[in-house]
Amino acid sequence: MRSLLVLLAACANMFAQPGPTARPKVDPAAAARGRTTYLQYCINCHGSLAQGTDQGPDLVRSVVVLRDQLGSELGPSLRRLANHKADFTQAQLADVSHFLKDRIEYTANDRNASEPPNVLTGNAAVGKEYFNKQCTACHSASGDLASIGTKYPPDELQQRFLFPRRKPIAVTVKAGLDAPVSGTLDRIDDFDVSLHDSSGEYHAWKRGAGVNVDIKDPLSRHHELLDELTDANIHDVVTYLNTLKTK
Amino acid sequence: MKYVFFLFLSASLWPQAALDPAKLLQPPTDTWPTYNGDYSGQRYSTLAKINASNVNSLALAWVYRVNPGPDQAGGGRNTPVIKSTPLEIDGVLYFTIPDHVWAVDARTGREIWHYEWKNSKGGWHIGNRGVGVLGNWLYFETPDCNLVSLNLKDGKERWHKEICDLNQFYYASVAPVIVKNHVITGVSGDDLDIPGYIESHDPITGDLQWRWYTHPQPGEPEAATWPSVEAMMHGGGMTWVPSTYDPELNLIYFGTGNPQPVIAGKGRKGDNLYTECIIALDPDTGKLKWYFQPSPHDTHDWDAVQTPVLFDGEIDGEKRKLLAQASRNGWFFVLDRTNGKCVLTAEFVKTNWATGVNEKGQPIPNPQKEPKLDGALVSPNQGGGVNWPPPSFNPETGLFYVNAARAFSVFYLYDDDDKPEGWGGNDKGGWSEAMLQAIDYKTGKIRWSHKWPGNGAGVRSGLLSTAGKLLFAGDTNQNLVALDPANGKPLWHVGLHASMSNGPITYEIQGVQYLLVAAGDSLYAFAINSPPPELRFASLVERK
Repeated sequence: MRSLLVLLAACANMFAQPGPTARPKVDPAAAARGRTTYLQYCINCHGSLAQGTDQGPDLVRSVVVLRDQLGSELGPSLRRLANHKADFTQAQLADVSHFLKDRIEYTANDRNASEPPNVLTGNAAVGKEYFNKQCTACHSASGDLASIGTKYPPDELQQRFLFPRRKPIAVTVKAGLDAPVSGTLDRIDDFDVSLHDSSGEYHAWKRGAGVNVDIKDPLSRHHELLDELTDANIHDVVTYLNTLKTK
Repeated sequence: MKYVFFLFLSASLWPQAALDPAKLLQPPTDTWPTYNGDYSGQRYSTLAKINASNVNSLALAWVYRVNPGPDQAGGGRNTPVIKSTPLEIDGVLYFTIPDHVWAVDARTGREIWHYEWKNSKGGWHIGNRGVGVLGNWLYFETPDCNLVSLNLKDGKERWHKEICDLNQFYYASVAPVIVKNHVITGVSGDDLDIPGYIESHDPITGDLQWRWYTHPQPGEPEAATWPSVEAMMHGGGMTWVPSTYDPELNLIYFGTGNPQPVIAGKGRKGDNLYTECIIALDPDTGKLKWYFQPSPHDTHDWDAVQTPVLFDGEIDGEKRKLLAQASRNGWFFVLDRTNGKCVLTAEFVKTNWATGVNEKGQPIPNPQKEPKLDGALVSPNQGGGVNWPPPSFNPETGLFYVNAARAFSVFYLYDDDDKPEGWGGNDKGGWSEAMLQAIDYKTGKIRWSHKWPGNGAGVRSGLLSTAGKLLFAGDTNQNLVALDPANGKPLWHVGLHASMSNGPITYEIQGVQYLLVAAGDSLYAFAINSPPPELRFASLVERK
């Protein structure tokens, strides 16, 4: 059966002309029927995920399968190969093709998690110690974060600890002899700065000599932490934060 | 000598509007004849009519907005984005978005022709880097894996050739580079575990001249950097970005992309050559001359495809033929381009994934910063310290400029099987700050750093430096900015309607120097704001 890889490669060369056009859409019902056929005839050598075993090659990576259209390549290949079922009906071939294409599409999209990662792998007691040392200047386990473990699932808690959502940035602009103006930063680049004051009024200045801009980003400490945190710190703190659940 | 004769003969044969191949060997002035302006990849222009003393008079000359038609924006976007670097030849600009090519008057912005690759069969329409031109013929790649040749004059198709297999989830996005009688093409795609390669095609017929895979052949010493032949033959390494070329050494240089599976590296233990490498090939034969790998066994999608910039410099008092790359992994490398030996390795942004540098000059990956089931905080993020936008090297300042990002994200492993496939993980979230870095190639030290104020978004715009003592860049606030290349001081800016989305170019027509950038769906051309000749003449008469 090891020779199957070689044979499939040979078949691929035979079909080396431009392949079929658009990728076929997977029909879930056909894929389910194809899976039944696959389980009966193919799984022993090609594995439960069609990714191959010591007895048979990976069909998700097979050029023959990738180029197949409803059995157009699979049928001739199976008829050519020894120890393969050669008398599948056209309908069976199409169903198996749908099943294999479904596996291919799954693989091509596996940059997305099928389930949330388990990030509660730290030591809550150590995390609490870190929290009390590093975080209590701004946060309180019995105050603003008292129910943080209820509010967010663990994976989102980890993300929000590391990368909190943007908050309004306070800015004060002092231009020449004018009185300073404070408010929420609207936009700043090398050339201009603008803000909305507490009444909502918009102010803007051209930056340059005599225009001083003082920005206070409430998340600056979180940004600094990114250089200081170890992964163990992260897992400990998140595991601890997850315990903060108001009863 | 044969090459010189070929160029001489060719030059005499090309009609006026055609590209004289000799232009490909000269610094760009009245033409911008290849992706990087010339073969060096420096993106440095000797033009100086726009300069530090008059840059504040730089004004809009024209805007051209592409209109590819409904549902043609590509990449799931509603608005097309021009990521290509236009070529400028005999007063005409040639540029692309996926499936489309335009020829536009470089002086007025008027459309001359528009070609559409109709009935596309698919492929990612995320971006297209542009065209290559030889003589009367233009070459570009389509997302559905075709190399297409058009007549430069009217945009009529001459032929098209398949260069990759859409069924295997390849697609094509690279700007072809013309080297002698070779059209050098690259391929894209990292959804499935497929091997990367680079090809050379005959410029007249489009026929394949050679193909070089970005993996060793079974039995070669480098094959030992993979656990199995199967892993190696499905190991990725796409060739996303156009090559540079040294005519004296007759070598092309390019980078290779990430190994596959992208994030889950358990099934491909080892360095995974020739993924994440800077490669030198003979363009006539496709034979490998040398390689250097910036990211051994990458598990963070840090393609090492950033432009390998060529220049001659001095190291420890000795003149050297050098190549420099600011790589997506956050590290800057200077190599001897005759042999690939590393001269210098240094971070150009602070990173946290390496434990040191080995004797070959490669960063040593920290296993603790490989993607984990419960997450690993890594810098740079998947987008990298820099992505595809081209850098610039200024031979006057000796500085290498890169529009960089310092970014963090968490890398998660989703598939911890012994044989993962595809990606098997991803990164998530993040925080970043963007900055323009000026790197001294002799020391690797940051000579100056200009942090872009504002929203922390990354920058995806390239750079251009000129003899006018100017460095042009896009910032994070949709500005096109001119800076002093010696110290990073911003000198001039203009707000665009979208972020700069390509590498700027400059060219001279009838004595006027133009600066050209793309932002979203539009090309913007700038020139020094001076009165037209008839008005200048009128004012002289008045004075008399």
